[in-house]
Amino acid sequence: MNTLVLASELSGRVVVTLGGEAVAQIKDVVFDGPAGRITGFTLSGRGLLAGPLKQSLRFSDVHAVGPSAVMIVSQALLEDRDAVVGRGEADRGRVLGAPVLTEEGTDIGTVADVVIETGTSGRVVGFEVAANDNLDRRHRKVFVPRGQSLAVSGEALVVPAQAQRFIADDLPSFAAQVEAFLTHTRQR
Amino acid sequence: MLFSQAFGLPVITADDATSVGKVADLTVDAHDATVAAVRLSGAADRAELAWSAVEAVGPDAVIVRSRVTAEQGQDRVPAHHRALGSRVLTEHGVEHGTVRDIAFDPVSGRILTLYTALGEIAGARLMGLGSYAMVVRADPA
Repeated sequence: MNTLVLASELSGRVVVTLGGEAVAQIKDVVFDGPAGRITGFTLSGRGLLAGPLKQSLRFSDVHAVGPSAVMIVSQALLEDRDAVVGRGEADRGRVLGAPVLTEEGTDIGTVADVVIETGTSGRVVGFEVAANDNLDRRHRKVFVPRGQSLAVSGEALVVPAQAQRFIADDLPSFAAQVEAFLTHTRQR
Repeated sequence: MLFSQAFGLPVITADDATSVGKVADLTVDAHDATVAAVRLSGAADRAELAWSAVEAVGPDAVIVRSRVTAEQGQDRVPAHHRALGSRVLTEHGVEHGTVRDIAFDPVSGRILTLYTALGEIAGARLMGLGSYAMVVRADPA
């Protein structure tokens, strides 16, 4: 299984071609909410004074998302900024900060971050949720797996009621919980 | 032979036995996993010799055929990026230390083994070498 990363951690990660050239760094992650995937990345130049780039990177053109770098085959794959951002924008709303509701209608907190599988899939596997009283009395941040269908809008994120039983406190143990949750949903 | 062993060797022509300089660095063709060229220090007229001009790399000297052949075949040499000390990334974006030394076949110029701070990598896994990193194929295991 691929390791998991928080979307926020991808910001600033260097983009490297398979030829060994660093061409940009990740600025923001663009989500496709309904599809439950990353659409792509907006980019900034490398270095302290570099500003945002007019180019962006479509996720389908990513060779791999790794712990040290995002790998692409060649610089020629970088596209016009609008090609990536334009399409995802309407659905994206603002995922971060959106209230999290269970399918039973309980408000369990707000979205703090998005958990993505590294490697070549770019799949959203769950969310970091800033819990409220209904989920955790101590208001910790916990990880909640996503459902098979991902219902997210700017207003709210809806997770399966069962997902509450598969929460985790940290990313390494979350990977196991995601697996367990998938197995659980397949059995039903 | 190791890159570090080749550095500093005098480069001598076979036809008139004169020195054209010393080996300063070796240019890697990452696409073919071969040594593409020998970079010279102390050279009067040119700084780079295509590998095709090299007759032999011995323990004490590098022999090139003649001054004339040394000037041929330079168009196909890829841009030079220093291999030793370069950061190593797998194609999956995982860092794998830095290049400490490289073993190459002194006859064919083929890159045999990359020695990194985190272990050895077969030369056949080499994918690219740029100004930021050396990129290698992910471990098949």
